[in-house]
Amino acid sequence: MRVPGAAKYRVIFTIGWQRELEYRFNFYLGRLRNIIVMLLLYFVWMSLTSKSGRFAGYAQTELITYVFGINILRALTFGAQSRQVAGDINDGLFSAYLIMPVNHLLRTFMGELAQRSLYAVTALAEVLLFAFLLKVDLMIQRDVAILAVFMVSVVLAMTLYFLLSYSVSLLAFWSREAMGPRFLFDWVLEFASGAYFPLDILAPVLFTILGLLPFASIIYLPMQIYLGRADLQAALRGMALQVAWISFFVPVVLWIWKRGLRRYTGEGM
Amino acid sequence: MSIMNVIRKYIRIWKQLSSLAIGSYWSNRIDSAAYLAGKVFRFGFFLLMIISLFSFTDELAGYSKYEVVLFFLTFNLIDVLSQALFRGIYAFRGDIQRGNFDFVLSKPVNPLFYSLSRLTDILDILFLAPIILLIIYVMGKLPSLPGPTQVLLYVALVLAGMVIILGIHILSASITIWKIESENFIWLYREAMTIGRFPPEVYSPTIRALFTFIVPVIIAVAFPVKAVLHTLDWRWILFAMVYAAGFLGFSLLVWKASLKAYSSASS
Repeated sequence: MRVPGAAKYRVIFTIGWQRELEYRFNFYLGRLRNIIVMLLLYFVWMSLTSKSGRFAGYAQTELITYVFGINILRALTFGAQSRQVAGDINDGLFSAYLIMPVNHLLRTFMGELAQRSLYAVTALAEVLLFAFLLKVDLMIQRDVAILAVFMVSVVLAMTLYFLLSYSVSLLAFWSREAMGPRFLFDWVLEFASGAYFPLDILAPVLFTILGLLPFASIIYLPMQIYLGRADLQAALRGMALQVAWISFFVPVVLWIWKRGLRRYTGEGM
Repeated sequence: MSIMNVIRKYIRIWKQLSSLAIGSYWSNRIDSAAYLAGKVFRFGFFLLMIISLFSFTDELAGYSKYEVVLFFLTFNLIDVLSQALFRGIYAFRGDIQRGNFDFVLSKPVNPLFYSLSRLTDILDILFLAPIILLIIYVMGKLPSLPGPTQVLLYVALVLAGMVIILGIHILSASITIWKIESENFIWLYREAMTIGRFPPEVYSPTIRALFTFIVPVIIAVAFPVKAVLHTLDWRWILFAMVYAAGFLGFSLLVWKASLKAYSSASS
């Protein structure tokens, strides 16, 4: 089936790849940063599980798989293109996109998808390399049904992250001071999504509160599904929550976009 | 000009640059408040993570809860201090890229000093007070209360750590002159610094050696705490002092060499 206008978004995707690879030194340094985070968490969890082989109800293999898994999931979900939108609006660069025959949301999504796919491939290679070098015993999920549910939840997580990130960036229509709120958003996301540790090691009250927010659906839920710690019912419930958040944020983003565009002044023109 | 006059001149310049920074932060109040909230959130998040870990265990790599918290707080102290004082480094790449560094070179001020300290992070200076108070509180909770000698050693090693971090910032600026696309280098250092959030014994001997001798983050962040906990031999203390001086000297030599290689982007 041919989608009208799909070709131009394919071009945007290709340009996104080329742009990422243009500054390779920067790209490699960026990946090295992620490797440091992965290794830091690996050693902390290894130290905590070295005595009994378990910690906080997790087997060592599960925790290490969680750490290595989030390296790939972070690469797949946390994109930077939607973050750039705030800067573009504040600097007036956004005006250039307005005269382009493309949908800004789709354009940003495809640009981000290009970046994410490239990072995910690299992250997978990093995980395989360090699993080999450190002789890590990773949990390989072989249950096809679980893998299928996991993949759907990852796609939903990617969509949800994008909508959240894009809507926060659009706040730049109202204020020149959008980067501070973005910085705050990024750290709330890192913490509340489970991008550093499984959320259920926190106190039950805090865990329940975080579970009600959209962030936990981005990293924590897919990883729980992959590890087989969420049974089918819990996984479906989690995915229903993902869909509910996406359904909530799609009209919110469109509303912000519509209202924000009326306020846009084209700074620097 | 005598040494004292030079120091007075640079203190005056730093004060002027800082008052400009205060004006900038004040005129962007929403941004500043959100950045400060983000920093507090990040700090609280990691503290909460450490405390949560200790609800399942009594020790991490042989250290008790308050000892691990002291490592974390010392990491924050040094990180926040370097952010507050050397924030200008984050704008350095832009200066090189656009050729604005030419104007810096023509000012009657040391270009390295100006490039590092042109943007004092007032938010981080505000953040220093609660961190220092928490460090004092946590030191009081340690199984063995540190004496005046340990506290003095802690302060001296934090200063040595700051000298090392200054050296890393100078190296980063030098690399930027050579390799304009090295934006991520300073961010790479920021990630490497996070190794200091936890006691060094958590990591493998290879990683420990790498981050002690090559990227000396462990000397900068973990040594002060180990001195307080009586787990640092005097030879290591001496080594840290000599290493800090040597590292700064090396970074200044690299900076001089990079200045010779500088070719203005605009000319």
